[in-house]
This record gives sequence, C-alpha cells and structure tokens, in this order.
Amino acid sequence: MVAQLNLVEGKMQYVYDENGRRYLDAFGGIATVSCGHCHPDVVEAIVNQTRLLQHTTVLYLNHNVVDFGEALAAKMPGELKVVFFTNSGTEANELALMMARLYTGCHDIISIRNGYHGNATSTMGVTAQFYHKFNVVQTGVHHVLNPDPYRGVFGLDGAKYANDVQDIINHGTCGHVAGFVAEAIQGVGGVIELAPGYLPAVYSIIKKAGGVFIADEVQSGFGRTGSHFWGFEAHGIVPDIVTLAKGIGNGAPIGAVVTTPEIAKVLKYAYYFSTFGGNPVCAAAGLAVLNVIEKDKLQQNAYVVGSYLKDRLNSLMEKHEIIGDVRGRGMLLGVELVKDRKLKTPVKDENMQILEQMKDMGVLVGKGGFYGNVLRITPPLCFNKEDADFLVDVMDYTMSKM
Amino acid sequence: MAALQSLLKRTTKPNRSDLLACRPFSSLRSSSATATQTITTPPPQIPPFDHQPHPYYGPSADEVFSKRKQFLGPSLFHFYQKPLNIVEGKMQYLYDEAGRRYLDAFAGIVTVSAGHCHPDILNAIFGQSKLLQHATTIYLHHAIADFAEALAAKMPGNLKVVYFVNSGSEANELAMLMARLYTGNLGMISLRNAYHGGSSSTMGLTALNTWKYPLPEGEIHHVMNPDPYRGVFGADADSYAKDVQDHIDYGTSGKVAGFIAETIQGVGGAVELVPGYLKNVYDIVHKAGGVCIADEVQTGFGRTGSHYWGFETQGVIPDIVTMAKGIGNGLPLGAVVTTPEIASVMAQKIQFNTFGGNPVCSAGGLAVLKVLDNEKRQAHCADVGSHLLERLRSLQQRHDIIGDVRGRGLMLGVELVTDQKNKTPAKAETAVLFEKLRELGILVGKGGLHGNVFRIKPPMCFSKDDADFFVDALDYFMTKL
Repeated sequence: MVAQLNLVEGKMQYVYDENGRRYLDAFGGIATVSCGHCHPDVVEAIVNQTRLLQHTTVLYLNHNVVDFGEALAAKMPGELKVVFFTNSGTEANELALMMARLYTGCHDIISIRNGYHGNATSTMGVTAQFYHKFNVVQTGVHHVLNPDPYRGVFGLDGAKYANDVQDIINHGTCGHVAGFVAEAIQGVGGVIELAPGYLPAVYSIIKKAGGVFIADEVQSGFGRTGSHFWGFEAHGIVPDIVTLAKGIGNGAPIGAVVTTPEIAKVLKYAYYFSTFGGNPVCAAAGLAVLNVIEKDKLQQNAYVVGSYLKDRLNSLMEKHEIIGDVRGRGMLLGVELVKDRKLKTPVKDENMQILEQMKDMGVLVGKGGFYGNVLRITPPLCFNKEDADFLVDVMDYTMSKM
Repeated sequence: MAALQSLLKRTTKPNRSDLLACRPFSSLRSSSATATQTITTPPPQIPPFDHQPHPYYGPSADEVFSKRKQFLGPSLFHFYQKPLNIVEGKMQYLYDEAGRRYLDAFAGIVTVSAGHCHPDILNAIFGQSKLLQHATTIYLHHAIADFAEALAAKMPGNLKVVYFVNSGSEANELAMLMARLYTGNLGMISLRNAYHGGSSSTMGLTALNTWKYPLPEGEIHHVMNPDPYRGVFGADADSYAKDVQDHIDYGTSGKVAGFIAETIQGVGGAVELVPGYLKNVYDIVHKAGGVCIADEVQTGFGRTGSHYWGFETQGVIPDIVTMAKGIGNGLPLGAVVTTPEIASVMAQKIQFNTFGGNPVCSAGGLAVLKVLDNEKRQAHCADVGSHLLERLRSLQQRHDIIGDVRGRGLMLGVELVTDQKNKTPAKAETAVLFEKLRELGILVGKGGLHGNVFRIKPPMCFSKDDADFFVDALDYFMTKL
C-alpha cells in the first residue's frame, strides 16, 4: 500500500495530509466514502443524533433503525423487504451464509475464485484468494471458475463458466447446496465484471439445487456502478439475499443484510442479536446517505463521469502498452497493468511505482487483483469531470515517464 | 437537515411540566395491592436530575414497533410487553417519547460505560467527524495509534499489540483465528453458559442453547461452568478445572488451540467464576499447548471496581484479551490485544478490516479511556457497587425469592428462585418484576439461561442514590408479589 501518507482531513472527493497538501481521493477509503468526505448532510445527521442518543440496542424502540430499514427496503426489488443491521461487510456476509445454511438445511456454499467476502470463519472460506486465507479449517465451500472476461479460460462466454457451477454441484456436493455468493463486480479481485450471461445461468442452476442466491453488494451497491443502483441489476436477476457495507454509511461502520420474509424466518429458531447493529447514530447516517445519493444525483453522476473516465482510460490504453485492460462500470473501475499484452503477464513493481508517483502528483488510487497489478478507481461519487481529467492526465504522465 | 426534518412529524407537543426531571410517580402505584398490604407507602422515586430532554416529534412507539415488524424481520425481539420508545439519553438516564425519565440500569447491555451522551465523548466524536470519518489503515492517522497506545498501556505483561474491529463477535473471531494459527491446534474450550458472539465460530464458543443455531461449529469443547451458585462443585475451583483436563485428555488429541472465558458471565446471568479457577485452568491449557483468551467485552474498563480488567480479579494474565461494548460508550468498536509473539502469525497473510480503527471510533474510544480515568470511574464502581451489593444482600435476607446476589462493582446479578433449596428459576416472577420496574422508571437487564436473573450493569456514573432507588423499588415490588 501507499507508504507513509498521513491523512488528517477530508472534504468531498479530496483529502489532506499533515502539511495541508490536498489530494484527489480516487479510492474513497476502498469504495466506502460514497457521498464524499465529511458531506455536510451526513455529518449533520451524525452530530444531531449523537447529541440525543448514541446507543441503547434494539431491545428498545427507536425510529432511526426503522426509518433506515424502510428506506433501504424501498430500494430493493422483488420480495427483498426485510433488513438486518450489522457492523461490517464481514458480519453481513457471515449472517447471509448462516441464513442460507439454515434455510436450506444444506452446508455447501459456492463462491467464485478471486472473490472477497470477509475475514471471519465462514467468510474467509468463501473468500477465494490465498493471500487472504489463513491455514485454518474451511468447510462447506466450493470455489468455481472465475468468469473473468480478461483472464478467464472462456473469455466472455458466461454460460460456459456457469457449467462449472453445475459440475461442482454434480460431483462435489450431494446435489443440493445452501447457496451461491458473488460480487457483481469483484472488488479486491481487481474490478472484474462477471462475464455476461453468467449470473442468470448460475441463478437457475442454484435454484434447481435448492440453494439461495446471495449478492454481495458491499462495493457495487448504492449507485456506484452508475447504470443501476445495485450491481446485480445489471445482470437481470433478483437475488434471495443481498449484503451491504462500505458505501452504505459513507464511512460509518454499518453492514446490512436484506432478504425475503420467508428466508428471514429462519432466525426465529433461536436468538440472534447484534449489540451495535442498527444503533441510532449509524442508522441516521445511513438514512442521510440514501437521501444524499438521491438529492445530489450521485448515481447519475457516477454514470456520466464514470463513463467519461472510462473512455479516457480506454484512450490511454491505446497510448500505453502497459495497460492490458480497462474495465468496470460507473465509478467502480480498474486498470490492469501487464508487461506483455498478448501473454498478459502481470507487472511486478511497476504498479507500486505508479501508485507512488501518482500520489506524489496528488492522486490517490487503489491496488488490487490477485497479482496486485490492477489500479482500482473507486472515488467518492461526487467525483467530477475535472477530477477525471486530472486523474487520467496524471496517470498518463506517470506512465510516460516509465 | 431537510432529510432529518421530513422524518419528524408534529404530534402533540409534550407539555413543559412533563419534561421536568423530578416527576412524582405516585399515579403509578400498583393496582395489585391487596387490602391486607399497606398501600400508604408510596413507591420510591427516581433521584432528581438536572437535564431538559428535547421535545420529541418523531414516530410514536406503536408506529416504530409496527415498522420493525415489517422491515426488521420476525426474529427481532425486544424488552417489555409494551416496547419502550427511547429517544434520548443523558448520563445514567434515558427518556422516552413523552419525555419521561428512566434510570438506565442496563446501559444498552453493559455498553454505555461513561454515560449517555457524555460531553467529552461527544466533543471527540464531533471534532473528528468534521475532519475525517474514514480512510482505512492503508493510510496513517494519529487517532488509531493514540488509542492503541493508550489501550496497551492499560494491559499487564506483554499484551502490547492491538487490533481494532467493529464488535465483540469480530474480536472473538480474530482471537480464535490467532489461537489456532499460533498453536497449530484446532480445539477450542469454552465454558457452558458463556456468550461470545453470533458469527460462525463465536457461536460455537457460545454455550447457551437459546443463542445457538443448528450449524457446524468446528472443534469446540464446552466444559463445566465454575458457577458458585448452581455448579455441581460449588466453589471448588480445582474440581471444575479437572473437567477441563478431562476434556483435553479424552476429547482432544491432547493439544488444544485455546481457552476462552468471561470472568463474570454476562448473558449467562452475571455468574462470577469461582475464585482460583482461571489460574488453575490457564496452567492446564498452556501445558496442552493452548493460549488463554479473556473475553472482557462486559467486564473491562473498571466496571468490576476492584480491577480495571475482569481477569485481574482472578490473578491471571491472558495471552489474548478481547474487548467491545463499553470500549466506545456505544460506538461500534471492538479490540483484540495480544503479545507481539502471537500477533506475528497474522503477518502470514493479509487480514484487513475496512472500518476497524477508523478515526471517529478511535477518537471516541480514546475519549472514553480518558473520561473513565479522569472521573475515577473504577473507584466509583467499587464504591457504589459495594453499597449496592450490600443493600441487595440485605434485601436477600428479607425476600425468599432472591436466590443469589453476586458480582462485583457495577456488574451485578440478582437471581430469583421460587424455591431456595432446589433453586427453581422464578422465570414468571422475574418477568413481572421486570415490567414493574419499568413502570416505576427503572430499566434493568435480564439474563441467565432461564431468564431469571436481573442484570444490573448501569453506566458507570450510576450513583448511590440511583442504587438506593433501585433497591427500594425492588423491595417495594417484591413485597407486593
């Protein structure tokens, strides 16, 4: 990661170091600062609520959690109407996996190679990059071929990749599974958009095997992809469970699971409780975020500016051999760097060098991908065209000097 | 602002006198008073408090409750037959939608340590929220380092490395991961009646059937609970410790990953482990290659009065300590503290927590530590706690329904039984008293596997007057039972 950068302040899409130097934050604290650093509406909601009541737990009533739950449910299609609040993406995915297993009575979960879903026991199991997996016991997980248009063996043929899911079910499980979990666009994995046609095909397969479909929207949610509010919408499917975190609170520690009333019932078997989950302050922040996304038209902005940015990055690809791929949607973009376009050999040190030099020039981007060779661009959604130009110009300059 | 205001509907504005702190509750005299009982004794009154709650114009209790059922799932449970709509808090008091004040004797489940909306903590939160809410630890920020340093300074031995997470469950998950990686062993040992979280692995450690779902847990051994009141060996630490050795000898390969315990069980009903138990068990576990984890989620930060950390009451130094709840006075914050040696296993791979250690929660956490120190809350817990304990023990002499009074500082439990000899849990009576206390303006907690234990774990600014009010109320209603 970028060494030694002491960030002490943030405002909208900019952050400031200890010397008061301003940087363009094109990483958004890992796709988390959705509205913008210290967005006045969100800060106001936090301050106003913190003054009144920080915490009592949901053992008592408080309007904030229901207002937020209602607003979130309203953004969901189909029967996705019941919301559970946690404190992180890991906790949300842990709960989703638990519900899938309880609902189906099965243990096996299928996830995609190169996916990232969290770092607790079950979530580390479905996470599929060895750098993030410790040598502990992992049960009930099967990792299928990654429908990666750029590096995947079947290119853009989503249906072919989906066959691997059926194969695993046929030969690696009892024929029935608890479910499938995937990010519509892999985040940590390097902004990989799942090949077209993949998710709908997998959806059918999973349903036939009695499983539930979990959409991890931790990075792709809340309008970031521009074309849709939720990443899964671009694939024309309606999941059974959706998990949320990161951008949901503009940085406030919030996670959420949205599911159907039917699936939600499984938790009635015993007591399930989150002490901090749904606390008034975070709920107020979350509701403010939804309102800001609407008011500031952030999804539309993500679409317009994101498309513009992607176009400019594609032009850059024509100019610099080191760019192997430009991909993503809206403001969830990735630039993969290679030594050789044909062999797609990942760069080794160049990515870090570019990251450092871009930082020196005032632009912060992220790093990802299994080989660490992908520049991840996930800014606060208030990022504008001038910012996009600056980012690309700086990238261009940096690459030219290499 | 517009967003917030559009949510607030104008309902009848509460009249000013309703907002006054000192409001006699004589109108709430129990209607179940029999002719033979004296009804001339008025019920006790909440101590005075100088704070004006804000007028509330938001949704009513009924509206909120109905929306909860619709949007938050059928599994969401709540306290009280008629759920309570809490809209404001100040120090050890809470206010409902009508501006009525309650004594908070449960602190949002042992979480509001410094006091609701403590000014120093508010300032820290506001100050930091206005500067920078979030960037993640891929960048530097002083708040997390300052907080980690301050927390480590509170720890004995070589407990110097801090990991920040967002909850107790996350903290215990991480502790388990470290234990397994460090030792290379799989088996974990936890106490029956313990609670350690609701995620995959922590649910395995949790040992109360009401909190467990039928899911695989991995290798977890639940040992006999060294419960002085209900345990088969009474207060004999050695016999309970033998059970741990037994499990290791017969149920494992002879080697384990670790042992975890709360020094005073929280959800389990304020059960304080038999003295001498942990020293004994830590020895056994270390010999079996395991590490010892102290779950300080509820007992930490001076709440026990006699010590800052619960484990100190047992004279041990754990290998890993987990914290949450009171650490942030309500901020979503958890932490794991361990030795550099154990922490080194985490360097094998990338383990990253997006929200963990964020500037706002770190600043808030540091402010909490400072408040607890500056306002000498630990000593206060010892002082008020011992007064409360003394009064509860006297009460126990007068009411047969009190089977046991236990705990330390402001982490106390009162177990109710219908039969002192058989210790039959008085579940129904506890429920009745629970409601009665609420009617009088006292919000207490409930726990124990049979729901027959009052958990008294208030914000650590709870006063002697509050304690007296609490005990007088309990006395008042128990007399009428």
